[in-house]
Amino acid sequence: MLIVTAVLAVLILVPSGVGFVNKLFEFYGVIKGEASGAFAFTPLVNYLLASLGFLCLMLWAIGQGMFHDIERPKRTMLETERMLDEQRTSEVNS
Amino acid sequence: MADETQTTDTAVPAEIPKHEQLVDERLVAWYFLAALLYMFISLSGGFLMAFQLIKHNPLNGIELFSPGRWRMVHTNAIAYGFLANAFLGMLHWVVPRLTLRPVFDRRLSLAIFVAWQGVVVATAVGLLLGEAQGLEWGETPVWIDPVAQLGLLLVAINFMAPIMKQKGPMYVTLWYFVAAFIWTFLTYAMGNFVPQYFVSGSSAGAVGGLFIHDLVGLFVTPLGWGMMYYFVPILLKKPIWSHGLSLVGFWGLAFFYPLQGIHHFLYTPIPMFLQYGAVMSTIAVELVVMTVVINFFGTLWGNGRQFWDNMPIRWFYTGMVYYFLTCLQCSLQVTMTFQALIHFTDWVVGHAHLVMFGVFSMWLLGVMTYLFPRLLRQEWYSQTLCEWHYWLSAGGMLVMASDLILGGLFQGWSWAALQPWDASVEISQPFWAVRVVAGLAILGGQLAFVYNLYRTWQLSKASLTSLGGSSEPPSVDRKYAD
Repeated sequence: MLIVTAVLAVLILVPSGVGFVNKLFEFYGVIKGEASGAFAFTPLVNYLLASLGFLCLMLWAIGQGMFHDIERPKRTMLETERMLDEQRTSEVNS
Repeated sequence: MADETQTTDTAVPAEIPKHEQLVDERLVAWYFLAALLYMFISLSGGFLMAFQLIKHNPLNGIELFSPGRWRMVHTNAIAYGFLANAFLGMLHWVVPRLTLRPVFDRRLSLAIFVAWQGVVVATAVGLLLGEAQGLEWGETPVWIDPVAQLGLLLVAINFMAPIMKQKGPMYVTLWYFVAAFIWTFLTYAMGNFVPQYFVSGSSAGAVGGLFIHDLVGLFVTPLGWGMMYYFVPILLKKPIWSHGLSLVGFWGLAFFYPLQGIHHFLYTPIPMFLQYGAVMSTIAVELVVMTVVINFFGTLWGNGRQFWDNMPIRWFYTGMVYYFLTCLQCSLQVTMTFQALIHFTDWVVGHAHLVMFGVFSMWLLGVMTYLFPRLLRQEWYSQTLCEWHYWLSAGGMLVMASDLILGGLFQGWSWAALQPWDASVEISQPFWAVRVVAGLAILGGQLAFVYNLYRTWQLSKASLTSLGGSSEPPSVDRKYAD
């Protein structure tokens, strides 16, 4: 499962990321070379601010160990749901 | 992986709070009922516009109900009336049960409920009175924007409080919800304040494009997928196929979605590198969507029969198929070649309906189909009406989207052939007539749902009365959960 996840992550994120970074470099080139480059600054700043926030969030999550035992939450979720429902059903039936 | 059901290594506390201590069921039901009310208002607006197009506008000549205004009521009522209310109801069920903590403050929840209905009604009244802001989906009158912004902040505080107390790795649903609370707040501010007060011209156009699409991708999409990651495993009684893959989907959305809105303004004075950037990020998002769809079909693998036997699952997976189709369509239609043909045509209208009704509304209707019996402690009055609701909605949507997409191609070809505008209007008439019929089917489905809900509520009331007013009837509906 980890291999599938890693392969998909590499296949999807790397080419997309490379293309995207390439476009950011082009943007920098336009800003430097053309007077109209600043024209597109507002939407780009919006994007960069949002992405920076999520980059920080991802780094924080990694630091907090959020991605250790990565499959555990899916089982925890089902278990708590089962307990909540069992508790409720037994109360209702009694 | 598909049969993974062991629960030995979970980190569930030995004692957990009771459901009643966590979930305010009354509020969930109120949100759902408000959502359904606004859905009918939105459908009414859509019908008036549809009749206008086939030259049978019943309110012709009345300025207050002119088609342009009704159209805005149609789109705003579905976004802020139906979707927002239904999502808020769903959040009041899901977040406390996932975190095992109630929302920050139940009184705040109630205040938000009342305030949000005020925002939606004031928006509708403002639009009908001609107070619209000049931005697609951001037409909410300027004097409502600060109130709505404050409401979004309070929503974030109310739900983030229990989520932030979570220890250890978070389930993917909560990742999506956290992102949605932050993104929605920022997106609303960006779309409603930046073009209004800070930038103008093409820069404002670019921000407007980001706003339109980010409202879909950063408000509706994370709440929708977060919701699916919660309800599908519960209904199938098995964990999601790969939690790791679901996180790839989440972070992919986080990094690739925010820039793609500019694809709404291809061939405009916005610099081409920005337009190409939007095209690329849109195609990247399609790849991300693939991971999500694979994950959900991997989860369903081996339980295919559930699609037919379990009504909420049928709603969910139909919505997922539509979602995949819309995203595939999106990755094609954002290419410059394709865009030259379909820009400003009904292709886009068909696409928008497929996303907003075919995907997210269908998911929410599936959630309501699952939760109403649990809220009312009563099985559905009629399973046949549930079937009618599904088939009229799903079938009507398929016909409407196909019809508008095909009609859009004819319109595009007509313009490309330099035919007069009137010619494209004439060739559109059959497609617009079919759209009305498809809309009637969808309306019929919703009427069947509401009637079924009313009769179910009556049964529930009778059941409670026979128990001498007890708040708890003898059995909880387990039909869809077991």
